[in-house]
Amino acid sequence: MSGTGGRTLLTVRGLAKRFGGLVAVDDVDFDLDDGEILGIIGPNGAGKTTTFNLIAGALRADAGSIRLRDAEIAGLPAHKVAARGILRTFQHNRPFKGMNVLENLLVGAHRRVRARPWAAALGLPSARREDAALAAAARETLAFVGLGDHAASDVSKLSFGQGRLLECARALMGEPAIILFDEPAAGLTSVEAERLGGVIRGIAARGIAVLLIEHDMRFLLPLAHRVVVLDRGAKIADGTPAAISREPAVIEAYLGRHAGAAA
Amino acid sequence: MTDLLELAVSILEAGGIYALMALAYLVVLRPTGIINFAVGEWATLASFFSVATLGWWNLPYIPGAVLALAGVAAIGALTEQATVRPMIERGAPILTPILILLGMVVVYREAAALGFGTQNLRVPPPLGFGRIDLGPIAIPMQSAVVIAVSGIMLAGTWAFFERTIWGKAFQAVAIDRVAAGLMGINLRLVAAFSFAGGAAIAGTAGVLQAPLTSAHYLMGLPLAIKGFSALVIGGVGRVEGCILGGLVLAACERLVMRYAPIPSGFAIGVPLLLMILFLLVRPTGLIGARGRT
Amino acid sequence: MNAKLAAAIGWLAGAAILAALSLTLTGYHADLFRKLLLTATLAVGYNFQFGFAGQIAFSHYAFYGIGAYAITILSTRFGLALPVAALATIGLSALLALMVAIPANRLEGFYIALATLAFAQLFVVVMVQGGDFTGGPDGLFGFDAPTIFGARLAGANFMLVVSALFLANLALFAALGRSWFGRACRAVRDDPEAAAAMGVDVARTRIAVFTLTSSLAAVAGMAYAFADNFVNPFVFGIDAMFVLLFMVLIGGAGRHAGAVVGCVFLFMLPEYLGDLVGRFHLLAYGILMVVVMMFLPNGIIGLWDRLAKRLRPEPAR
Ligand SMILES: Nc1ncnc2c1ncn2[C@@H]1O[C@H](COP(=O)(O)OP(=O)(O)OP(=O)(O)O)[C@@H](O)[C@H]1O
Ligand SMILES: [Mg+2]
Repeated sequence: MSGTGGRTLLTVRGLAKRFGGLVAVDDVDFDLDDGEILGIIGPNGAGKTTTFNLIAGALRADAGSIRLRDAEIAGLPAHKVAARGILRTFQHNRPFKGMNVLENLLVGAHRRVRARPWAAALGLPSARREDAALAAAARETLAFVGLGDHAASDVSKLSFGQGRLLECARALMGEPAIILFDEPAAGLTSVEAERLGGVIRGIAARGIAVLLIEHDMRFLLPLAHRVVVLDRGAKIADGTPAAISREPAVIEAYLGRHAGAAA
Repeated sequence: MTDLLELAVSILEAGGIYALMALAYLVVLRPTGIINFAVGEWATLASFFSVATLGWWNLPYIPGAVLALAGVAAIGALTEQATVRPMIERGAPILTPILILLGMVVVYREAAALGFGTQNLRVPPPLGFGRIDLGPIAIPMQSAVVIAVSGIMLAGTWAFFERTIWGKAFQAVAIDRVAAGLMGINLRLVAAFSFAGGAAIAGTAGVLQAPLTSAHYLMGLPLAIKGFSALVIGGVGRVEGCILGGLVLAACERLVMRYAPIPSGFAIGVPLLLMILFLLVRPTGLIGARGRT
Repeated sequence: MNAKLAAAIGWLAGAAILAALSLTLTGYHADLFRKLLLTATLAVGYNFQFGFAGQIAFSHYAFYGIGAYAITILSTRFGLALPVAALATIGLSALLALMVAIPANRLEGFYIALATLAFAQLFVVVMVQGGDFTGGPDGLFGFDAPTIFGARLAGANFMLVVSALFLANLALFAALGRSWFGRACRAVRDDPEAAAAMGVDVARTRIAVFTLTSSLAAVAGMAYAFADNFVNPFVFGIDAMFVLLFMVLIGGAGRHAGAVVGCVFLFMLPEYLGDLVGRFHLLAYGILMVVVMMFLPNGIIGLWDRLAKRLRPEPAR
């Protein structure tokens, strides 16, 4: 089933979450391999973001297991999941508004910091060197996503599309094993979306596994190695982009309705 | 027996005032999301205004008290217009108006000191200093007035929220601002009205308190703290919570003063300790909120 | 390299100016100077707690008072040697800070303000009611200035110590603010959920900041005890706390320079308003605070930034 033939990195089994009477995620299974771009699609309210929140530790699952290379991470708080190398972007841009672009990226690098707090408090050379190295890495990352000129900008000065790139760059700064993207192309112009697609490909090429929620099939299908389809919380299909776009259940549940509505 | 009855009366009296202070917070907090520390100073201002209308101008009690309350309600609405609304419209974080109102605490208080001086000013009680004879006990007249007026005010506010379309509009705004706005509720009017109403309610507490302790420019902070303690104890959300919180707070305070083997000055610490305890152990209070806050 | 040199020169110049003032000022001006330095030390720490980490707590002055009372009681009542008493005071205040921070961390937003306000008020109540042990409403006075290494901590010596304390606080918070820790604090302030998603342990960060800043407030309080050899419960009340908050907000929250500027500005204001406003300088503070919050959300330092930018267009980078 794997798209790239790599080792399995993330294993999700029987994942479930309900909000009161509403079953938002219902017994979902999937695997994510090294270096793979796995798409997750589904209509509004299908449970995509909730699935992300469960993996990232922002929400606690009611049932199921999430294993990162054989270590169970379900139930860990968000910062511990991040510390293990799973970083995310948010569906709605959430920059740290009181910091400039470069500083936002440096927060993304939090899990890489080795300096102890007292070294930071005393401004010891080792801590300063590490800081300078991370700042240099952040400038490279900014150049990689195409925000090279904005290191010192206020985040409020960025356009919506640049804000999206900032979200990517911030997550990338943590040198994650897995990045979770929540509808990164929503609201972007086609030019911006194309650039973002390139960035995501580049991320995968660095060996980082990508879990990509997306509504826009034209954006997702050329990008993903494999696609999982959710509908009303449950997984209804899982396969290559070509295979799932032929699946009748998918066309009925998602493509048909969505394409009809969008036309 | 007489002892216990007298204790009960003093609990009802203090509890009524605390409940009014709690309600003053709630009336502003629910529709706007703003925790407004200035309620204590609104009580101060109203009690000074009553010094003017009743003591200096010798108006009859009811017109004099109503005029004092109208004054402080106008100040509440003006404050909302001048400082809070521009911030909300500018899209500033909710902390900005909260901090501005903290600044207004000092502005009100010092302005009151400037206008009325820093000494205690006596306010004539409406029905004199007599006592009402109720068989086993004789209740001081002012205690009876405090209990009656705060009871009427609390019941009236409860009826407003539960029984009138206007009250429903307030509740709707508290539950979902955006949806309420879309439904055609005038959010600006609700905000202005909540500040005026909160000021009038806090002002009532001040006017009731003034004949008991005299009006003084520093009387606001203790009232603000007690009101907030009552709010937290009862639960931030409903008029019933304010009443229950006020009574529980007053009961604890009076019982400690009377029976606990500690210096009476420590009784000032009771509301503080109770507030801390509730924040930590039961942050939803005795009666939880209704809908989102 | 150039920037580093400039920074070093700046620190040295600052230290030299403070030392010169310590050695030359006398009488009323000396009193003003050391109180200003102590308040500025508090403002820098409070700015880190509030401006950097976004914690709205009203307990900073209470910890200042805890430091002042603890060192006085430990060294006069229990006769501990000054260094021992100082260490015990720091330990005690750090412990108290942890005891406030850990439960308060569970509270949301402004409720932390109320819980810490209650704590601060309780402190004053306990000091006022503490009888002979705390000196009651009159406080503690008439104790001797301490001696360390044969030097009596009074007059110019005392001012030098307070200058060093201020500079050390400023340097510490400046270094912390620039570091990953300061960025984590600001991330927690701006968006705790997003900060956690980047791996920041939000609870630990908050607790660490509160404990550190509160303990350093207590250290400043230890110095305060010997400013006049007099501690009084009402000095540490809520009014002083409000003024400290106003200082930070008027100067520009989240900026060390802002905290210092706001502190100097508000502290010196009554000196110039003097008889004009008399005891109503608090009214001026309140009005200033409201006006600044409404029209200068980044405070005086934000205004300065804007002016500097206009005068000196940014060089091409
Ligand atoms: N915190 C919450 N409390 C209650 N219900 C929630 C919560 N979060 C999500 N839901 C509900 O769970 C369901 C799944 O939501 P989710 O956000 O995961 O959908 P989604 O697939 O990401 O949709 P979209 O494409 O609109 O982003 C929806 O019905 C939503 O209303
Ligand atoms: Mg979603």
